[in-house]
Amino acid sequence: MTEETIRVLYLDDEEPNLFSFKAAFRRDFEVHTCNEPHKAVRMLDDAEFHVVLSDQRMPRISGVEFFELIMPDHPDVSRVLVTGYADTDAVVDAINKGQVYRFVSKPWNEEELRNVIKAGYDLNRSRVNNAQEGQQVLAAMDGFVGDLDRLTADLNSGHEANNVAQELSLLKGRMMEERIRYGRWVELQNSRSK
Amino acid sequence: MRGWVWIALAFTWGLQGCSEGSTERKVDALDLVALEDVDGTLRPDEVHLRSQLLQPLKGEQPNLGMRNSAYWVKVSGWQGAPRNARIILDNPTVDSIDAVILDGPRVLGRQRSGAAYGKTEDLIPTFNLPLNVNHELWFRVRSTKPLVLPFTLTQVDRVKTMRVQRDLALALYTGIVLAILIYNCFLAFSTGQQAYFSYVLVVLTVGLVQWSFNGYDRLIWGHIPWMARNGLTMMGASSGLAALIFAREFLEVRRYTPKWNRWIQGLLVIYASAMLAALLNQPLLAYNLVNLGALSAPAMIVLSLISWRRGNTSALWFFVAWLIFLVAVTTQALRDFGVLPSTPVTALFLPLGTVFEMLLLSFALGNRINLLKRSSDAANAKALAASLENERIVKQQNAELEMRVQHRTEALGQANSELSGALDELKGAQDQLIQTEKLASLGQMTAGIAHELNNPINYVQSNATSLRRDIEELIEIVDAYSEAFAAMAEGAHGAQAMAEAAAEKSRKLDLDFLKEESRQLVAGILEGADRTTKIVGGLRVFGRMDGDKPVKASLAELLEASITVLGNRARSKAKIEVTFEENLPELWCQSGKLSQVFMNIVVNAVQATESRWSDAEQRSVRVELKHLKAMGEGVNALEVRVQDNGTGMDEETRQRVFDPFYTTKDVGKGTGLGLSIVKGILDDHGAEVEVESTMGDGTTFILTFPITDEAQTKTEAA
Repeated sequence: MTEETIRVLYLDDEEPNLFSFKAAFRRDFEVHTCNEPHKAVRMLDDAEFHVVLSDQRMPRISGVEFFELIMPDHPDVSRVLVTGYADTDAVVDAINKGQVYRFVSKPWNEEELRNVIKAGYDLNRSRVNNAQEGQQVLAAMDGFVGDLDRLTADLNSGHEANNVAQELSLLKGRMMEERIRYGRWVELQNSRSK
Repeated sequence: MRGWVWIALAFTWGLQGCSEGSTERKVDALDLVALEDVDGTLRPDEVHLRSQLLQPLKGEQPNLGMRNSAYWVKVSGWQGAPRNARIILDNPTVDSIDAVILDGPRVLGRQRSGAAYGKTEDLIPTFNLPLNVNHELWFRVRSTKPLVLPFTLTQVDRVKTMRVQRDLALALYTGIVLAILIYNCFLAFSTGQQAYFSYVLVVLTVGLVQWSFNGYDRLIWGHIPWMARNGLTMMGASSGLAALIFAREFLEVRRYTPKWNRWIQGLLVIYASAMLAALLNQPLLAYNLVNLGALSAPAMIVLSLISWRRGNTSALWFFVAWLIFLVAVTTQALRDFGVLPSTPVTALFLPLGTVFEMLLLSFALGNRINLLKRSSDAANAKALAASLENERIVKQQNAELEMRVQHRTEALGQANSELSGALDELKGAQDQLIQTEKLASLGQMTAGIAHELNNPINYVQSNATSLRRDIEELIEIVDAYSEAFAAMAEGAHGAQAMAEAAAEKSRKLDLDFLKEESRQLVAGILEGADRTTKIVGGLRVFGRMDGDKPVKASLAELLEASITVLGNRARSKAKIEVTFEENLPELWCQSGKLSQVFMNIVVNAVQATESRWSDAEQRSVRVELKHLKAMGEGVNALEVRVQDNGTGMDEETRQRVFDPFYTTKDVGKGTGLGLSIVKGILDDHGAEVEVESTMGDGTTFILTFPITDEAQTKTEAA
């Protein structure tokens, strides 16, 4: 795993919980806490977080509603719902609306929660990685298309066929390289998800 | 009917006998020559000057036909007759007869007679003979009726006998007619049949025609000259009209022979025109029209035949009657024209014919009435049968109806039992719903309690774990320092380094932070423990959640516990202010149920504020508890007021708020049973509940719990 610090944000309306959380996990992660949902939204906008945890029962807004709120701007962050008591409605809402990654019930098991946060970090990384990889492949494709356009133009304007053929074989080589690289990446993802 | 025939026959024979008695010896020697006086202006002295124009008249009854002219008839051949011989002109219908005895142009004598003079003694116009055989005997005759001139030479005594015989015959005839008339009048009034009335008219007019025919009508209206002249015509027309009207009714022309109605109307017009013409002083035209009207006789015959053929059985009688009449009339006509001899027998034809006609018509009517009666009987029988059938059907229907009613009653009984079954089921369902509501509020409570408990437990547990780690690190630092301290005390080599290492460790582990954190962790643990204790303490107050046993409890504690248990669901959503009076008496109550009441009302209040305010800061629920001290009438009660600044409710909602299943929440969100159960529980406690509400301003629930000695509420009995 990477050596990067895992940035975690915990939202709960009860101060003692925030303190407990920080005390419990400050040694493992970079822990930020907040007892106001709107402040939490601002914090997410200001800095990158890998995992966000929220209490379900809060005044004015529920944890699920909070997740719903931040989803559009922060789709990659892993969402973990912490709840003292989860009824069926809350669970259904959490999955359908908030796209919650995990549930953790209070009182939490510290080790379990730690693993959840770590797994959430991995998921976040993989999502970000996927997006980057996608961008990279798209860029490579664009490059290849540009090259092919240039070669076609050369051929039409009466360039020597031999030169063009040589360039084509070079292009094919580069494409093969990209193909192999992408193949390895996919293989890596598959092995990880197993 | 048969009797009538015999009577009729007897009269006929009687008449016959009289006629035979009057048989007259005709003086064949009478010679008649006539002179036509077209204008009727010739004077007697002018007559002999025109003797070259004289025409001989042939036969016993010379017929000059109908003319406007006057005729001068010279009668000769009377010479040599005995002194008591007279000349008679046996035709009472001739309007005027002037017998003139002439000696050349000189008028020697004059004798006037004729219908127009209306003299009753001239029913057989009788004239004296000239005394001198050389004198001429002239008759000036003029009439609006056929000029039939049966001049006869006879004896004076004979004339008298003839007159007596005539009177007798007519009396007989009149007797018959009157008998028929009266009898049918009686029938007409007793049956009320219109045909009888017209038949009576027929009989009357036909009788009068015969009277006129024989000149007897002058007995009735001889003093009226116009009637004396036109009596026969008018009676003829009247009888024609009556006969046609009768025929129309009797033959039911409109029913059997509707096309003939036109013809009958035409004939009626002819007769009516005849009367009109007579009135307009056109006697000839009138008489001719009456004669034209005689077409009705054959018409009736044909019509009655057709009617008979078409199923009108009475028409046969009618046919025979008219046939006889036609024969009689024809005979009369033939006699008038000299085709038939003018014997007393032929003279009888017409009166006899009319008598038979009238009788037959009477029979026809009788037959028809019988037929009508029979058909009416049949109709009655049919109606009776129909009514019997109706009765049978009604009886049957009644039976059917009774059966249906019975079935219906059974069905209703069944439906009733089904309905009471359904009612029982509904009651069951209601009980179940109430149970469900109870469970739901239990579930809500459980969720609230779980959440409320899990939070403090969470940080107690988590803090304990963190504290252990902190303590280990602190111990590590303390160990490091104590080792360094020991080494320093022993003056051991490297003690300085150890001290530096300990300081390094304490810096690395952030000792100050650890100290602070430890303190806070412990504080958190204490707070968590405290909260847990409070919650559990609150739970204890509830007693058994659905227990029925009354316990002595403090309403303040119950209220507080209820609000605590509601926890976040209430506190975090609205500002809840609680004001309790001190030193309140305790109340015997079913604490679990009362907590259900309080939670329900408080949750409703919070929800009402949520619907009105989006900002939680503005939502306010005030819960008050106070002791209503004895005020005169010994009111000793505790009052709980739950006041919110929510949406409030309208009057209808306010009044129905405790009705079962009444809810303003969306379908599926509320059972509408919450407050109805609350009401039930409050009733069990003898508590009263009042709701004050203003739309858009908030609602206040006011609960009043009476305090009785030892609180022997009926809950204890339960």
